[in-house]
Amino acid sequence: MYISNYHRRSGAVFLFFIGFSILCISRLLFIQFFRSSYLTRIAKSQYNLYLELEPRRGTIYDSNLKPQAVNLVVDSLYAIPAEIRDKDKEGIIKQLMPILNADYAYLKDRLYRKKSFIWLARKISSQQAEAIQRLNIKGLDFIKESKRCYPNGYLASHVIGFAGLDNAGLESIELYYDKYLKGQSGCALFLRDARQKRLDLWEKMVLPKDGYDLILTIDEVIQYIAERELDKAFKTSHAQGASIIVMDPHTGAILALANRPTFDLNEYNNVSKDRIRNRSICDLFEPGSVFKIVTASAALEEKKVVEEDKFFCENGSYKVSTHILHDHRPHGWLKFREVIEQSSNIGTTKVAQILGAGLIYRYIRLFGFGSKLGIDLYGEISGAIKEPRFWSKLSIAAVPIGQEVGVTTLQLVSAVSTIANGGQLMQPYLVKEIRVRYGETIKKNSPLLIRKAISIDTANRMKKILTGAVEEGTGKLAQLPGFSAAGKTGTAQKLEPNGAYSHNKFIASFIGFAPAEDPLIAMAIVIDEPHPYYFGGVVAAPVFKNVAGDVLRYLKTNISAKEVIAFHDTGAVN
Amino acid sequence: MRLSKFLYLVICVTFLSLFYVWQETEVFRFAYVGQKNQDAFQDLLDKNIALRYNIKQRTSLINIGDKVSKVADFQMPDNYRLVRLLYPPEIRVSEHLPRQENIVSRIFSIKRQAEAKTINP
Repeated sequence: MYISNYHRRSGAVFLFFIGFSILCISRLLFIQFFRSSYLTRIAKSQYNLYLELEPRRGTIYDSNLKPQAVNLVVDSLYAIPAEIRDKDKEGIIKQLMPILNADYAYLKDRLYRKKSFIWLARKISSQQAEAIQRLNIKGLDFIKESKRCYPNGYLASHVIGFAGLDNAGLESIELYYDKYLKGQSGCALFLRDARQKRLDLWEKMVLPKDGYDLILTIDEVIQYIAERELDKAFKTSHAQGASIIVMDPHTGAILALANRPTFDLNEYNNVSKDRIRNRSICDLFEPGSVFKIVTASAALEEKKVVEEDKFFCENGSYKVSTHILHDHRPHGWLKFREVIEQSSNIGTTKVAQILGAGLIYRYIRLFGFGSKLGIDLYGEISGAIKEPRFWSKLSIAAVPIGQEVGVTTLQLVSAVSTIANGGQLMQPYLVKEIRVRYGETIKKNSPLLIRKAISIDTANRMKKILTGAVEEGTGKLAQLPGFSAAGKTGTAQKLEPNGAYSHNKFIASFIGFAPAEDPLIAMAIVIDEPHPYYFGGVVAAPVFKNVAGDVLRYLKTNISAKEVIAFHDTGAVN
Repeated sequence: MRLSKFLYLVICVTFLSLFYVWQETEVFRFAYVGQKNQDAFQDLLDKNIALRYNIKQRTSLINIGDKVSKVADFQMPDNYRLVRLLYPPEIRVSEHLPRQENIVSRIFSIKRQAEAKTINP
């Protein structure tokens, strides 16, 4: 009886365990075959962390490899609102407000959102980050991000441009070469521990491809000299705006480009669009007398005149169609070279009448006016040049002296470079090389000839005339001690909104190159609405003198010791 | 299966399992150590970059140039200009002063030998 009961009970227990085992096995089979993908997904989301790996944005260097735009690692502050108690939030907002310089409403809006992650401030300074860390607030943390910084502040701001919060180029070189600078993002599947902390263990990883470095044609020292002198002229002449471009006339490489007003690249989001605008490539203006270099070059190239031909300048008053043309100073008989040196409007008009509208228009286009020159920046405009069929009877007296035409500072410097280099119109460019970080060159920008505008002979004759304009003519204030210089002044009346020429708003300009016999630099300076002095020869020419003097001394010091000794041996020591 | 074999199998499986767990924990421990070192290294690297950036910013032409131009009208130095300094009169006079050497120094001085002129240049 007892044994029988024992067998029965053990059988029942056995059956119970068998049944339980079958239940477990069937449940396991169910999970394995029907729920495995779902559960695997949940598990992976717990211990895997997908991260996009940010590439390093390329550095921008000047021509001497001095960094102009670099990346710094900075902290970005975020909050986990769910981890902060509601009663603490008010206090946290009051603590953060002075550190972040943020509004109460902004922080309140962020901290009271029902989210597990929200940005409070991105890319803050190290001082701000340290101050917040000292507060030791639960629910606030930092993520390291890369920030674009510009060590030279406002220097070459219109050339370099800036990149935004997401390291995307927004302006100038940063925008134009963004595809080279930004690189390619990578990604990785990192493991996480039980506290959701990232471990340096990954399942899959695609490394980011860093952006390429850019080497500009801009020279930091020349840029500084140009900005320093432009700034002085801008302030002393109480101008509305000012631009300067320094170019290597033989290659078209831009050595310096600056505008006023300007802005600090590190504070780009606090300035107006007007300050950011690159006036030297996207502002159109009537150039005035500096444009006479085109008329003069055309006349010499077409052999219509020679330097010693005489023109009667009508003692300062000459009727063309219904309009009476004036010179800023009355002249009688002037030789052709003196017409340019003394900047006689009447003499130039008479030369233009010999040439005719068709030839003048042809040379205007040959010198690059009326079309984009193809500089590696967005926003370049082509200017405004009317075809001869749209010219009025007065145009023959206006276009050759720089009225009824719209040009840019870049076009002016390219035109004067054409004369300086022997008649070749070169494409201006700002980026010399694109390189892999510390490595091989990906792309090299070589000097590019757009077209041959005039012959070497004409260019040399024009050089002499322009040297005369500086030595004997209107550009005397551009004379350089120790170096020869050539150039042309310009003073243009601005157009009023009603279409009439203003009597108190002018554009003063100077274009030139130095040394005159073997030019190293060409330059264009444009000052918008200077007061009280407004003549190009008074306002813009001294800028040329100061910039060219310092730049030539700087460039000459870079030549080899051998050349210096040779130079000294020739007795050229002062 | 005998009980001893079963127990032996259980011990083996347990040992292997423990070994697996141990090596997994070691991997994670090394990962933590590596990550800590990496973070420290990265932090130093970031600080180095920030420091260099600050130096570059402080020594930029904008800062130095503006400070210099406030106190002086700075101009680029020129290699081609030799500046002849005009000596003050007292220095010129001193050249004509009689030698202040005694008899001993005159005899043993190498300076006099150095000043000797060659007869056949």
